[in-house]
Amino acid sequence: MNPLRVALNTAFLFFVFIVQESVVTRVRLPIAGFSLYIAVLLAMISLEERNGAVALGFIGGLVLDLSPTSDGPFGQWALILTLTGYLISLNRDSVAEFIEGHIGFGIFIGVAASGSFITYLLFGTLLGESNGNLSRAIVIILGNFLYTVIFAPFFLPPLRWMRELMLTSRERS
Amino acid sequence: MFRSGNRRSSNRSRLLIVILLVTSLFFITLDLRGVSFTSGSRSVTQTILAPVQKSVSNIFAPVGRFFSDVKSFGKTSNEIKELKSQNAELKKQVILNKDIQGQLTQLRGALDLAARANYKVVSARVIGRGSASTFSQTISIDAGTADHVSVNETVISANGLVGVVKSVESHSAIVLLMNDPAFRIGVRDARTQSVGVLIGQGGNEYQFQLLDPTGEIKVGDSLISNGSDGNRPFIPGLPVGYVTSVDHTSASLTQSATVKAYANLNNIGVVSVVVSAPTTAPRSIIQPTPIPTVTVYVTPAPVATPSATPSPTGSGH
Repeated sequence: MNPLRVALNTAFLFFVFIVQESVVTRVRLPIAGFSLYIAVLLAMISLEERNGAVALGFIGGLVLDLSPTSDGPFGQWALILTLTGYLISLNRDSVAEFIEGHIGFGIFIGVAASGSFITYLLFGTLLGESNGNLSRAIVIILGNFLYTVIFAPFFLPPLRWMRELMLTSRERS
Repeated sequence: MFRSGNRRSSNRSRLLIVILLVTSLFFITLDLRGVSFTSGSRSVTQTILAPVQKSVSNIFAPVGRFFSDVKSFGKTSNEIKELKSQNAELKKQVILNKDIQGQLTQLRGALDLAARANYKVVSARVIGRGSASTFSQTISIDAGTADHVSVNETVISANGLVGVVKSVESHSAIVLLMNDPAFRIGVRDARTQSVGVLIGQGGNEYQFQLLDPTGEIKVGDSLISNGSDGNRPFIPGLPVGYVTSVDHTSASLTQSATVKAYANLNNIGVVSVVVSAPTTAPRSIIQPTPIPTVTVYVTPAPVATPSATPSPTGSGH
């Protein structure tokens, strides 16, 4: 991933983050909330090669750590999403089978988001954070999974199109 | 040659991930050790986000309300039925309450409610909510240091306690809601005056732990805030919630109960921040009231002797 694309991706992620914090959080969905930001970030990570996935995970995590409502220490999401990026890029061949269709891609992102949330909670528990009761956490994670699968067909096509635009001719070949 | 290039690329990837993981851990360590740049970066984000949230709030408020209404459609119709029957019952009670009201006027001086009227508040609109990715229960409001709002001030709504100001910027502030898992408040049972701790659970229910091992909790008991030193972060006498069920666990030393808050945190649009409180606010009684000692006055009965002359000072105390 070249420096220009890193800068563009960072700017785009920050834009999605503002949309998440300003618009998506205003909508009180039944069951639990939906994190558009994590869904978009994981979709972008899934489409990148190894170095790009790891770098995007780290940058995306740092942007998420900037959230003023976040209770966790600064860098916690960066750590979790860097690891997630690495794990996704390690299994790139298996991931490629999922990301062909929008529904399969949506389910894959939903599972990856749930995995990230669980790791975040576990890591937070190790650091002594209070995360509420377990049933509530499960409802949040399942709710987020459900909405990620539902909304994936809407945000994935423009995301793929945008990525194609940003690729250099060398990267395309 | 090709294999060597591949290996070099793989090594570079490993180096990159190690660097990024170490950097993340470095940030976490700095944050946990209280280095100010991490909290400063979140303040900058809040300063950037607040105007956007404020304008988006105006545009998207009807959308948010629509989803909220759809979500609670069935619940609302049931609530209307329930409220109608409660209203009929209350009408009967109003007649009885007129008598009690006379007594209440005399008792008012002893209640915290009178002092509560003297608190100075700043009203603010809710412009944002905590993100689903943070697990914390917070709201953003459009009042900040410019409106004399500062950290650790009590936030209330029409029905009672909402939360406490967690961080503040010039024109916005973040309020930690009372249902956040990290939220703790000292409360007392209005009926028994027993003191306990109310803990947020992340949802609509709260856990109340009584500190007195001999204390007793009953369903329907009202919980009132105990207040903090200097009225920060909590002012005393605020209605917090009511007991919905009592947990009868013989293994625990103290009783605990499940509580529902008076304030509906799902649908709050406007809140008030208590920015100043009177210095002579009534506090919870810490000193026990002395038990009055009973003095018995004994008057010995005069001895009935027919020859004795009755004396005018014959009786004593």
